[in-house]
Amino acid sequence: MQAFEYANPTTLQEALGLLGSKWGEADVLAGGTDQISLMKEYLATPKRVVNIKGVKELGGIQNSKTGLRIGATVTIDELLENAEVRKSFPALTEAARGVASPQIRNMGTVGGDLCQRPRCWYYRQGFGLLAMKDGKSLVPEGENRYHAILGNGGPAYFVSASSLGPALVALGAKIRLASSSGHRDVAAAKFFVTPQNEHAREIALLPNEILTEILVPHEGSKSATYEVRQKEALDWPLATASVALKMKGSTVSSAHIVLGHVAPTPWVATQAEQALAGKAVTPESAEEAAKAALADAKPLSGNGYKVQLARVAVKRALLEAVRARA
Amino acid sequence: MADVTVDTVTGIVKINKAVAVQDMGLVINPKTAESQIHGGCIMGICAALYEERVMDQQTGKMLNSDMEFYKLAGIGDIGEIIVHLDITPDHDKRGVVGLGEPAAIALITAIANATANAIGVRVPEVPLTPDRVLAALERRNA
Repeated sequence: MQAFEYANPTTLQEALGLLGSKWGEADVLAGGTDQISLMKEYLATPKRVVNIKGVKELGGIQNSKTGLRIGATVTIDELLENAEVRKSFPALTEAARGVASPQIRNMGTVGGDLCQRPRCWYYRQGFGLLAMKDGKSLVPEGENRYHAILGNGGPAYFVSASSLGPALVALGAKIRLASSSGHRDVAAAKFFVTPQNEHAREIALLPNEILTEILVPHEGSKSATYEVRQKEALDWPLATASVALKMKGSTVSSAHIVLGHVAPTPWVATQAEQALAGKAVTPESAEEAAKAALADAKPLSGNGYKVQLARVAVKRALLEAVRARA
Repeated sequence: MADVTVDTVTGIVKINKAVAVQDMGLVINPKTAESQIHGGCIMGICAALYEERVMDQQTGKMLNSDMEFYKLAGIGDIGEIIVHLDITPDHDKRGVVGLGEPAAIALITAIANATANAIGVRVPEVPLTPDRVLAALERRNA
């Protein structure tokens, strides 16, 4: 790990004042479950580390008539155990449950889940975000069993590692980013971006900003998340789906269906949403929606099986959602 | 012996129960011997379902050389393990013969056999990962 200056602010304004204008000047530390690993591997070498766990205003979950506010430093476990979240947004509770292990759920934060860097093993082994070598990416002809099957036209082939991202996109959440000059709210769907070059980021956050909170509107949808994972213990899912359905009686008036771990961002399955609108959720209609969700998938040399797994995730999430309370 | 559940739409294999019966001469300390076989079973489960060294053919670098990507079973992944020490006067007469992890090797085969028994087709390579199991199921259905 490279030596760094450590700052321990207690207010948001103080924390924002400690950030830099370029990546690499200052990194934010919350749970540290990703940040510390990145620093140990020299994938992140910030001059200054700003610990935001002491900033009280970044914590807490508050429910109001309009929606739920989740502070950035809320741990994954706090989110998982929150009764309001479980009642109104089961998709979010289930997504939180999918986070690897009790240790990581206890340390890792909601903001950190959204801001974590990709888990592409080429990136983590030091080949760079896009794994470029001699002008082309190592991924398409390399070991790509866990890589993207959608949105993978290049140059990014990694999958977004965020567990909560797909659920937040499905639920129409907004993500608040603060800087010294104020704050801006970004739709969860716009927060995740596909980087076009090695130095770009996979999220809309700027180096001088801190993700402060997440705002999830109460829309009365039935929601669910399903993760296909090989192991119960510490592991990344192979494909996930989060769905939020607005119902009219037993038929779906509009659907949000978002896939995780299949693309460089959470992937909105527009065709599946259209396929399901106006129908009741049955094993047959869920299967049709699942097929539509993956219609455009273009697997790489070693990840064709993920197409099937993502279909299963969509189907099971849909069936789970209609079992859940609105 | 192994008892597994296979999700035939995802290709995910879960072990429910493993039984290891061990004949190994005179057992001096049954508790530690049992514990050793228990560990061998866990190694067998890891090898059968998860463990693999992933090398990048373009750079010669190992891509999963850490605890994040090198898959090992956790507590939720090992099911029930039953160890039976076959202690008889006849075996005792043979004296101390030593014990390593024989259960590890036998259990890999047992899990592969149980999987073949469950889905009606062999997955010819371990670990039994979802892609391999799905490919085998596709061959069966073809």
